[in-house]
Amino acid sequence: MKALAHVLVALGLVALQAAVLTWVGGGAFSVAVAACCVVWFGLNEGNVDGSVSAAGTGYVLDLVTGAPKGLHTFLCVLLFVATRAVAAAVDVRGRGPFALLSGLGALLLSVGAMLLTRYTSSPDVAPGALLLPRMLVEAAATAAASPLVWTLLRRVDLLFDREEPGLLR
Amino acid sequence: MIALLRRYRELILVSVLLLVPLAVFFAHARRPSERSRLDRAVIWLTTPVERAVGWTVTGSLSAWRSYVALRNAHEQAMAMSQEVNALRLERQQLLAERGEAERLRRLLSFAEQAPERTYLGARVIGVKLGPTGLQLLTVDRGSDQGVARMMPVVVADGVVGRVHAVTGSTADVLVLSDRNSSIGVRVERTRARANVRGLGKPDSCRLDYALRAEDMIEGDLLVTSGTDGVFPRGVPVGRVTQLHRSAHGLFLDARVKPAVDVTHVEEVMVVTAWERPTDALPAALGPGAAGP
Repeated sequence: MKALAHVLVALGLVALQAAVLTWVGGGAFSVAVAACCVVWFGLNEGNVDGSVSAAGTGYVLDLVTGAPKGLHTFLCVLLFVATRAVAAAVDVRGRGPFALLSGLGALLLSVGAMLLTRYTSSPDVAPGALLLPRMLVEAAATAAASPLVWTLLRRVDLLFDREEPGLLR
Repeated sequence: MIALLRRYRELILVSVLLLVPLAVFFAHARRPSERSRLDRAVIWLTTPVERAVGWTVTGSLSAWRSYVALRNAHEQAMAMSQEVNALRLERQQLLAERGEAERLRRLLSFAEQAPERTYLGARVIGVKLGPTGLQLLTVDRGSDQGVARMMPVVVADGVVGRVHAVTGSTADVLVLSDRNSSIGVRVERTRARANVRGLGKPDSCRLDYALRAEDMIEGDLLVTSGTDGVFPRGVPVGRVTQLHRSAHGLFLDARVKPAVDVTHVEEVMVVTAWERPTDALPAALGPGAAGP
């Protein structure tokens, strides 16, 4: 249930991002809010819930963006695993580190998508390193927007938190 | 085996979630396939969410841009309106200056056509009907600048009139359409002589003393003859109109449309010196040049 809620929130965020970016920026830059969601799953969810949520988010992303099947699903789960690895090595708390991880996650998604698409596309149309500045801008914009996603997902998670009855109750 | 699966179930799940999409990607990347039923179902479920979010955001931003962001539009419109008025005024001034420059250029060009004449440029500063009924233009040049009575006043199109009275800094010009004005002219085409006399109307004069036997038609250009001692030769005066050749009498009856509309003149040139017609005939036509 929580994983479904996460996927729906991610879907809403992706739709919101698409609608806002239509008005703001005119397509000059983009934001990868899905990366923020996956980083959140990696930091706050368990392996099962988090990986399912990440896969669901990636699947929805594949559908709404028209990307080749499995591309974002794989990359989101990969980002989830990477975030788990980072979270196991260092203690990540607060909006600042979350923003940093989100920016790096957005970069991972972009670079991964570029490499995989490049591998499977014909050389004439394959994306190249020319996209790198745009990816860096997207990573920075994602990091800037991540505190909003952090706040939203925190509130969503609070809805599912069940308080254990203590001894004094 | 089951215990092993239970022990590593999370690792297996994550591995499956990693590898299956990757396999699907490589399977479909080169050969894009139709969407599956699951895909279509998910899209069917997610489209309303996307649409609702997009509609909300678009509506909110549209409302912001259409109403809230326009709260200073009135002040901006007022400021721009003032700026437009100022620019219009400036444009009018520039157009007036351009017209003046064009007129002055034509005057200068006219002056350069007759280098033997000396011109003094003047600006019309007044128009008046004199106490005796004279139609006068007042120009801003007078005796201090060398203007004297009876000097011809012209523009590039032709004769304006002659200097009637002079003060130190101004001069009154009697226009050619005044009743008291009479200018000796020739028909440019046939060299026939006549006089142009004013009728008191700016758009019409009368042709006097044109012999009935002269070759003259409507539209003929009349130029100064130089025989009146006032105007230099060859300056346009007007064109013949309403020509009436009566069955008796010595002279033709005709009107003249002045070459210059004296009601629109702003800058003029006073001819302060010009070539005077000499009495002596050219040497080839002199008394000692009679042929055998």
